Amino acid sequence: MTQDKSQQTPTPPMQTNNASTDTSTPGKLPDVPVARKHHFLVRWSHWLNVPLLLGLVLSGMSIYWSSPVYQHRPNPNTGNFDVVADIGIWLCAHVPGLHNYNSPPDWVYNHMSLGPGMLAAALRLHWLFAYLFMLNTLVYFLGLAIGGGWRALLPRRTDLCDALKMFRYYVGMPFARLSRRTWLHPPCHTKYNALQRLAYFSVPVAGFLSIATGWAIHKPMQLYWLAALFGGYDAARVWHFWLMWLFLFFVVPHVILAVADGWDTVRSMIAGWSVRVEQSEGFENER
Amino acid sequence: MNAEEKHDASAPEDPHPTHREPEQAPTESPELGLKEENTESTPISADRETKDESASISADIEAPETVDGADRQPEAEAVPLSVEHDSPTAKPTPAAITEAASKEMPRGFFRERPPEVIEVAPQILRYRTRRDVLLFGVGAIASLTGVGFLLPQDTLERMGVHRGMSSPRKEWLLNRALRIDDDVAEALYSKNRMVPTYTKSQITPLKNNYNGATPDPSYISGWNLTLDGLASGLSISLDIRNLLTRFSSHEQITRLVCVEGWSAVAWWSGLRFDDVLHAYPPMSQAKWARVESSVNLDASGNPDPYFVSLDLPTARHPQTLLATHFNGQPLTVEHGAPLRLLVPVKLGLKNVKAITKITYTAKEPKDYWAERGYSRYDGI
Repeated sequence: MTQDKSQQTPTPPMQTNNASTDTSTPGKLPDVPVARKHHFLVRWSHWLNVPLLLGLVLSGMSIYWSSPVYQHRPNPNTGNFDVVADIGIWLCAHVPGLHNYNSPPDWVYNHMSLGPGMLAAALRLHWLFAYLFMLNTLVYFLGLAIGGGWRALLPRRTDLCDALKMFRYYVGMPFARLSRRTWLHPPCHTKYNALQRLAYFSVPVAGFLSIATGWAIHKPMQLYWLAALFGGYDAARVWHFWLMWLFLFFVVPHVILAVADGWDTVRSMIAGWSVRVEQSEGFENER
Repeated sequence: MNAEEKHDASAPEDPHPTHREPEQAPTESPELGLKEENTESTPISADRETKDESASISADIEAPETVDGADRQPEAEAVPLSVEHDSPTAKPTPAAITEAASKEMPRGFFRERPPEVIEVAPQILRYRTRRDVLLFGVGAIASLTGVGFLLPQDTLERMGVHRGMSSPRKEWLLNRALRIDDDVAEALYSKNRMVPTYTKSQITPLKNNYNGATPDPSYISGWNLTLDGLASGLSISLDIRNLLTRFSSHEQITRLVCVEGWSAVAWWSGLRFDDVLHAYPPMSQAKWARVESSVNLDASGNPDPYFVSLDLPTARHPQTLLATHFNGQPLTVEHGAPLRLLVPVKLGLKNVKAITKITYTAKEPKDYWAERGYSRYDGI
């Protein structure tokens, strides 16, 4: 902040905005309007989630390995009972280049976890990252509260329908581009469109639920009521597992769309502002 | 972080920044003043001027805009930070409008606010972008290195990193997290909180999860439980008949949760650890019990004594049993005949089978699994 103050001196403050055209030093470029997008606590916690969730997923899958949620009767030939191991076997049998993989049942664990047979190491990492993730979630909610950004995340009555329109728009976009057809963006005058709002609202909720289910399976005796809330200890494990997939399913389109949307969007999550001001003005005409 | 500095010298976070006032001066009509006030917060002068023009040209356009503006007004008031309010300009608002506005009041707090728009010199924007993106890059590299550093050596090897990355600081950090988690578990524990119990119809199968090979049942005939670290200073040896006749039996149907993630509901009966502690009190400074079995074997069948640490508050829990029966039958060798520890508030790995010795100590005793990288308190 002190840094920011020092930068203020060279440029005239906003009040002289009207006059800036006539009084400013000759040859100076006109000021550009920028819109504030994300509170810095939100930005920090957003990016910190990347290493934290990566560590949680990797160690979590190693924990999963020691007692898979999805099991079947042991295969008489291989003795395998783990569905995830089956997926590895299937991949190695069908994906060219993997035919000679030395241990197909471990393929998924070798590529999506710390590795099989590493429960102790995985638990240690998982606890460390889980505590950090909880702190980070706190920072995120704090940033939303201080910056007022939480309002832009609240779902609206019309969101379900509008989200489908947005989904259609995103899916059709590449084809429209290829066939050089005009493909109109559904009208949107808010910070986020309906699909974004649904996603950005449900992901923090999922984060909260991950923490809750995590505690439920970590302390199923002292916090038995929490486990009971999710349908008992075993059900809470299933919840916890699928919440991880929800994050993964979210991240892929999230990254693709953010990058496709352009540098301004990515920068707004790094630096906090956006030069797309027009959109924010339409915002006011909405009502 | 960057956006505010342009106007935050005068009024930080003010949704009605004072810098509009000079612009307001030329507008004569109070209605225009009102409209101005309410449609603002985007101090883009050019745009505002065009709006003002259109407003003064046509009263038809102005009227709905005024309503619209008044509509937004209470919302602005809901902002706790709106300190300065141009009340003189707001005064001429017709009563009907204020009424309409007050109807909107409850929704106002949850309504999305327009983003704050400020104007910044392009060179400052460039400078800030460069600074923030560079900082971001440094942070990204640092955090990814940090995560990489924390990965276990085996994982790194698999990823093709053959340099030894284990260091005392890494161990310290991971152990610290483990200790914090143990402390949390200890804080959650209460002697008065019972674990949930189940009905007989909810019983699930419990596999023989002996660590290593299942011992040969020949040990059972000469089995004895030795108690050490007692207040009397003696070492006491008890056989199973002694235990069964001296202590009353309790039964419970509880869940046993393994560190691996699976669990099983089973019907157990046996004597309360607490009763044994009363009958043979430990030495006064004792805080821990070391519970061990000398009959355990490793996977290839060689002797592999199994020992765990158990804090005395947990040992005193009414649901902590020295179990003798499993699902109504005397314990089989697979489940730790003739006496096993059943401590449902701990992970399954603390539930020692075929206990041969209990030693009370003042200092925390060693734990078989803690030596292998697991936590030591293991409260669940």
